[in-house]
Amino acid sequence: MSSWTKNERQFVVFTAVFAGFILATPQAFAMHIMEGYLPVTHSILWSVISLPFLAAGIVSIRRTIRDRRKALILLAMSGAFVFVISSLKIPSVTGSCSHMTGTGLAAILFGPAAVSVLGIIVLLFQAILLAHGGITTLGANTFSMAIAGPFLSWAVYLLCKKLGVNRKAGIFLAAMLGDLFTYCVTSLQLSLAYPSESGGIAASAVKFLGVFAPTQLPLAVIEGILTVVMVIGMETYAKPELREIGFLREGVK
Amino acid sequence: MIVTSLLTASVVWCLFYGRLPSPALGALCAALGIVLALLGRHAHGGVLTVDQIALKSRFGAVNAGLKTFGCVALILLASLSRSVLAPSVLFLLMSLLTAAGGVRWHDYLRMLSLPASFLLLSGLALLFEWSAAPSGVLNLRFFGGWLTVTAAAQAKAALVLAKALGAVSCLYFLSLSTPMSGIIRALRRAHVPAVVVELMVLIYRYLFLLLEMHGAMRDAAESRLGYSSFSLSVRTTGNLYANLFVRSFQRANACFDAMESRCYSGEIRFLETEKPVTLPQGLAAAALFLLILAAVLSGGVLPV
Repeated sequence: MSSWTKNERQFVVFTAVFAGFILATPQAFAMHIMEGYLPVTHSILWSVISLPFLAAGIVSIRRTIRDRRKALILLAMSGAFVFVISSLKIPSVTGSCSHMTGTGLAAILFGPAAVSVLGIIVLLFQAILLAHGGITTLGANTFSMAIAGPFLSWAVYLLCKKLGVNRKAGIFLAAMLGDLFTYCVTSLQLSLAYPSESGGIAASAVKFLGVFAPTQLPLAVIEGILTVVMVIGMETYAKPELREIGFLREGVK
Repeated sequence: MIVTSLLTASVVWCLFYGRLPSPALGALCAALGIVLALLGRHAHGGVLTVDQIALKSRFGAVNAGLKTFGCVALILLASLSRSVLAPSVLFLLMSLLTAAGGVRWHDYLRMLSLPASFLLLSGLALLFEWSAAPSGVLNLRFFGGWLTVTAAAQAKAALVLAKALGAVSCLYFLSLSTPMSGIIRALRRAHVPAVVVELMVLIYRYLFLLLEMHGAMRDAAESRLGYSSFSLSVRTTGNLYANLFVRSFQRANACFDAMESRCYSGEIRFLETEKPVTLPQGLAAAALFLLILAAVLSGGVLPV
């Protein structure tokens, strides 16, 4: 190694460190911003931004329930389903603990309007029962995980369907891109709260994207694969139930 | 967990580098790392351990609204602080209070290590800046430039970490002392829309159904070598979740039939037992709030 240039040596060292992170990340959860991490102004701001989406979701759910009372039960079961799959360990290449986010799946199944309301409830439960996320950061987390991510997943899913892309590829892309978008939005939220001294918000965003990449990128890929397996499985075994949610989605829209 | 402990040690090293004498700092980092590494030896409990602890808490009889809104107020106070003092005091007090509620230290520390990966990774992002010249207290060469840790960045990161820890201790006190039913009741009193409250009640109920169902299916799959290789375990997990979905919807249909036959009219009514705030409880809460307020004010408030 003594004949190597300084840059070469650095390159090897940094890739080794990066690989070490990927191989042994302790807990790969979705990137919930933890309690108390954001300044109060930011917490309030993100809550206010999330409010209209929640209001729209509540109104549409209320209407659906008035027409079909069963919808409440189905929605509740869906919310519990999303919580449960996000709290369970999924297989990971390295044997570390990974957890699904479930946002992509929920968006594909239930549509973005219902997901915003289910999402904030699930996030509150995660904060209180699983110690992930927090109460004051609920607004920011809702925006990134229950609004931005699902909206993108849903849009990608519809776009792929319209363009006639292979169905499995469409589902994979929707779930994976939804996850990646959530991770980007969270990094942006963090960098807006804590801009870098020298480079401002952009440099700070790059830093946050960088440190979380080793946990979030593999998670997004595995989530994509799992979502494909799940949706295919559901289409094989759960046609009547899916039709029931199809009803639900028409009603919610 | 080994990685978390290494990460903790290195972040703490960067945080206090140049402020504490090296031997003391080394000892502190090593101690933290060893504590976390030892904790990590113990396996995870069930998914809903927190809920079980909350149901057994000594503070279970205290009014849930007081605990919920009190904790939120304390969290907001902590996030307004400009000094490390107030959040640290809050962290100590709330941890002691949580322990007084009957939570074992071991469980508490393990819960604290849960958000550790978020806290530590983002701590690294806050600490390190890229710059062309080695201008900070700690400098690492990086592709023709320097990754530096400046004193200002150290102070900022320390403040953010302290605030987050203080706030998390309040959240943990709430979740380890208040069963979900109490929190939902407090939210209903606060006029959260009825649909949301009903959804919360039902979701909470269904969590247990689903987790039980999932446990049985996972055991069945595992005893048939369903997780013996990576690709197989991905396939098993996906199919298991799909099946969980089917079964959960069958269960939901059965629930709906049961509710219909008991005159469900689109609205769920709950029987509630009143837990009024007693004078000592109110005084204790007010004293805690004033103490933290004083600590925050003495250290200065962040400009909003």
